Amino acid sequence: MASTEIKRKKKRLFVRLDYCIGCRACEAACRSRFKGEARVRYAEISETALLPLTCRHCEEPLCAAACPFGVIKKDEERGIVYQSSIHCVGCKSCILACPFGVLDQELLRRMAQKCNLCYDRDEGPRCAATCPTGALQFIEEEELPEQMVGKRVGARMPFWRRV
Amino acid sequence: MRQVKKTVCDFCQNGCHLGVSFDGYQYQIEYLTDEAPNYGRLCPRGNSANIVIDHPKRLSYPLLDGKEITWARALELIQEWRARCRPEEIAVVYSRGLTEEEIGIVWAFAKELGTENLVCGYLEPDNGFAYQLAGVKRAQLAELSSARAVLLAGDVFSKSPVAARLLLEARYADKNSRLVVVDSILTRQAGFAHLFIQVKPGTEFLALSGIAGIIDPKLKIDVSACAVQCGVSQEKLQQAARILSGAQQGLVGAAMSYGRVDNPLLFSLCAQLVALKADKPFVGFAEAVVPEGRLSFRDFRHKIAENKIRMLFWFGGLHPYSYSEVMPDLSNVSFRVATSIFRTNQTIPGLLLPVPSEFEKKSRGETLWEKVEREPVANPVSGSRLIVEIVQGVTNKVLTGMKVNPAKVVRVEEMVGMVYSSLVPEPRTVNQESGTINYLLLGERRAIGLGGFFDPQEEIAINPIDAGKLGVQNGDWVMVKTRTAEEGFLVKVSQAVPAGVMLVGVDAHKNRRLFSVEFDEQTGSSRIPPTKAEVWRAQR
Repeated sequence: MASTEIKRKKKRLFVRLDYCIGCRACEAACRSRFKGEARVRYAEISETALLPLTCRHCEEPLCAAACPFGVIKKDEERGIVYQSSIHCVGCKSCILACPFGVLDQELLRRMAQKCNLCYDRDEGPRCAATCPTGALQFIEEEELPEQMVGKRVGARMPFWRRV
Repeated sequence: MRQVKKTVCDFCQNGCHLGVSFDGYQYQIEYLTDEAPNYGRLCPRGNSANIVIDHPKRLSYPLLDGKEITWARALELIQEWRARCRPEEIAVVYSRGLTEEEIGIVWAFAKELGTENLVCGYLEPDNGFAYQLAGVKRAQLAELSSARAVLLAGDVFSKSPVAARLLLEARYADKNSRLVVVDSILTRQAGFAHLFIQVKPGTEFLALSGIAGIIDPKLKIDVSACAVQCGVSQEKLQQAARILSGAQQGLVGAAMSYGRVDNPLLFSLCAQLVALKADKPFVGFAEAVVPEGRLSFRDFRHKIAENKIRMLFWFGGLHPYSYSEVMPDLSNVSFRVATSIFRTNQTIPGLLLPVPSEFEKKSRGETLWEKVEREPVANPVSGSRLIVEIVQGVTNKVLTGMKVNPAKVVRVEEMVGMVYSSLVPEPRTVNQESGTINYLLLGERRAIGLGGFFDPQEEIAINPIDAGKLGVQNGDWVMVKTRTAEEGFLVKVSQAVPAGVMLVGVDAHKNRRLFSVEFDEQTGSSRIPPTKAEVWRAQR
């Protein structure tokens, strides 16, 4: 089926720095779906730039390795690192382990707020669908080089800015 | 399979298409990727439409002084109160949240009651866009992305994030594209600008009229006086005029915020004057524009103060309690009837009647780009009644709505005179009085999620110089006192605000109370300007 094919493609959330206006619609979309949870957070990198902080769904997720109860798992086929909210005990190990600091330090309903790329939705995560300026994109890894115009903001930073 | 019902968002005039689905348990937002102008993209408030529909604070029964009563008793009470008042002692106020048809019905209702006291209670600066300058072209949607010179007055990106996509596409489309921003605060939108004209708070309209004066010297606007008053160099205004008049395709956009713009009427007209003189289309990004009534709000308040109003009907979303100064006046009114979607935190004296939200009623209207028809996407909350049903219950008649045109056309000669009369120096800078430092407090209105209306907005942006003077750092607690209220805030030291100026979010009702409503003596139009505030360090 077509929808299954879409699901099986490995896609990533990608931020186009020169389109993000810091409106936090991504966060609002997440909050509206997950009843107040903001699985997308934001970071202020300067007075005029506010960026969405999204889970990278790492190849070797340290959050999953740190979880003492094996609640966080990786779906190798789709490249999604997901969490079973029911079994999370709120020990914050994953929050401390995340090298990108994307997991919110605050627990909600005594659980860590972990992005699952809206796996219930065939079209992809809601944050990318709603992004008013198209700064947040859900694209295949092969499409990434086309988006990389300009230069990186900092060494090894995932954000690129048009020159 | 979920059934998706389509509608057009009513939170602002951008007219974004969105879908709402219901799975038997909760409502969810769906993104309609094929529908212009937004192609599924929504701002934070659009994303929160489902929260409005099944919010736990939705009002589902009439309240009398905060206590539940039945609809039959409520209508009976209204009849009793009406019988005890003469027609001229009754006032009908309407605000945003009503459809065009409903405003027409409210007008007909006032006529049926036999009162001339028909008042527009929407005092937000956005209503300045109801005034249209003769000869100005309204921008079409396609012109946003094709514009190669864009002048934005105020924070358009915050007000309408969905339109920001098209404007940014235009900015990046061509190396010669230019974005000019006129604002008093270094916003994120200003970060994208090629030319940022940072004016003194409240003087945006003077910078705009200066630009218009440079483009068309026949207007005989004193450009140097404008530049001095708004605190920018004349060269910057000339540069902006060159950019705008030099491009073949361009656009002038404007957005206003509560507590930021000094005079909404002049702000709107001056932005339109620039568009007219540069021969470019204009678009005013407003949340809503509500037509004026027969009586201005200023005169309505005078009548209340003189005890001439004994009964009040208040229809629509924004309530007297949205405006801190208006609420105490209303204690003079004996019989109060208001409609509401939500139960409020404070008890509203009088009758409070539940009505359906924008998403639960059919309507016809006009957005910035097109005419739209909205179908209800959810069932009305049980116990709520439409305005037409309430009016029918009170009058025992089926009323047909009157035609009300919101736009008011102003000629160029009239408005240039208004600009000149505003060129009187006013103290807008910091001054020190009896040991306490007075700052200028500004408001920032953003398209935030609806949850935000009930969330506290605790941050206050303070310039590093002022933070040094007050001896505060990031995360410290300060108290802010204005003429109308006192509130505590968390300090956020920021270069975005100039020294002597502080910035707070005005989406939270608590923060709105810090600003006061003023009225223009000439036109009677309302304004909520930046306000003076005393600030001191405190313990939380």
